[in-house]
Amino acid sequence: MVLMHDMPKVARERLEEVEMPDFTGRPWTAPVAAAERKVAVVSSAGLSKRGDKPFSWSARDYRAFSAGDKNLVMTHVAVDYDRTAWQQDLNAILPVDRLNEMAADGEIGAVAETHYSFMGATDPLEYEKSVHDVASRMKAEGVNTVLLAPV
Amino acid sequence: MCGLAYFFEKEGLATTLVCFVREHAEAVSPPRVLWLNMPMGRPFGKPNDPEFQKGIIRAALGLLDAPEGPVLEDYPEVVPVRDGRMTHALPDDLVSQAEDRANPAVLLARIQAEVAGLRLGYDAAVKKRGRTTVGASGLAIEELAPFIVSWLTSEKVKSPRKGVPPLMMLKLACEDLWAYYTETASGVRGITGMEELGDWFWAETEAAKAILALEVLSEQSENKALRQLVELFLIVPRFWA
Repeated sequence: MVLMHDMPKVARERLEEVEMPDFTGRPWTAPVAAAERKVAVVSSAGLSKRGDKPFSWSARDYRAFSAGDKNLVMTHVAVDYDRTAWQQDLNAILPVDRLNEMAADGEIGAVAETHYSFMGATDPLEYEKSVHDVASRMKAEGVNTVLLAPV
Repeated sequence: MCGLAYFFEKEGLATTLVCFVREHAEAVSPPRVLWLNMPMGRPFGKPNDPEFQKGIIRAALGLLDAPEGPVLEDYPEVVPVRDGRMTHALPDDLVSQAEDRANPAVLLARIQAEVAGLRLGYDAAVKKRGRTTVGASGLAIEELAPFIVSWLTSEKVKSPRKGVPPLMMLKLACEDLWAYYTETASGVRGITGMEELGDWFWAETEAAKAILALEVLSEQSENKALRQLVELFLIVPRFWA
């Protein structure tokens, strides 16, 4: 089990220094039944469509792409996570094919037409406005379940 | 990710997330979290392993069935890492041994020969996968090495892409070149592990020598902007060293 105290010194100290956001309250949305779930993926990998403006190093914005967009690029500020897996298979970070298979098998209701990415190196408190925009778009598509995937 | 969960739940959307740093999930305590004992950068575990990926998705979505929360569960399957490092880490001596401006013209010629030698393999890998991750910088593959190496002779390189600052272009160009090599190696040479790909690229290629030379240049520079390359770990993966 790799917990922070098992990690090398430089990384451990940096991760320990990360200031945790102080949220008010604990919002809890009641999930729908599995068969009714329409699932969108939100990645923090800094993914975008080819040609989109790269994420800035303190980005608060987001990028959207359709479920069929496979030829994505990544502009995350960090290089210290594995990038070789997603090079070999997009589903290692954005599992739209797997979700489609699960929808076809009846494990979930449906897969969103649109998925999203943030660049996950920003103070989480800065994301509120962008999440509001993304949530509005999701609701317009009938999405009720969000699968959050970090890198 | 934990922060995003908070805001999505506030908007009335149910969330579930996977995470790599358990202590951060404990501190923020979003409604539903699945902790993965796996390398960072691959939240669904293993490339080209649909059943393994679905196992993680099923477990994450399964947390939505909990009647109350917050819920933090440990995923039972493990993808081992080396010495607590959550991805490939560059040995520090590779940086200390790098020469800061080792004859840029010769280095460029060597990289260009290497890039040309990999081209057929890269094209085959792209054809096989139907996609490539190379291209974040917007530069053509042949433009990457000249742009990167130009930084070894001048700290005032202009960005070739409107609206993208020079240092960001340098970072993206380094990542594109790195991806060009590793996509080729994993696609046609059968080297698929992150440790093996990292060892090969950083220790054995001319392209890595240019990136390491930039790292040394940044360490020694009094230019604040250039020093960001080292201080923010922008081009060389030393965070886990």
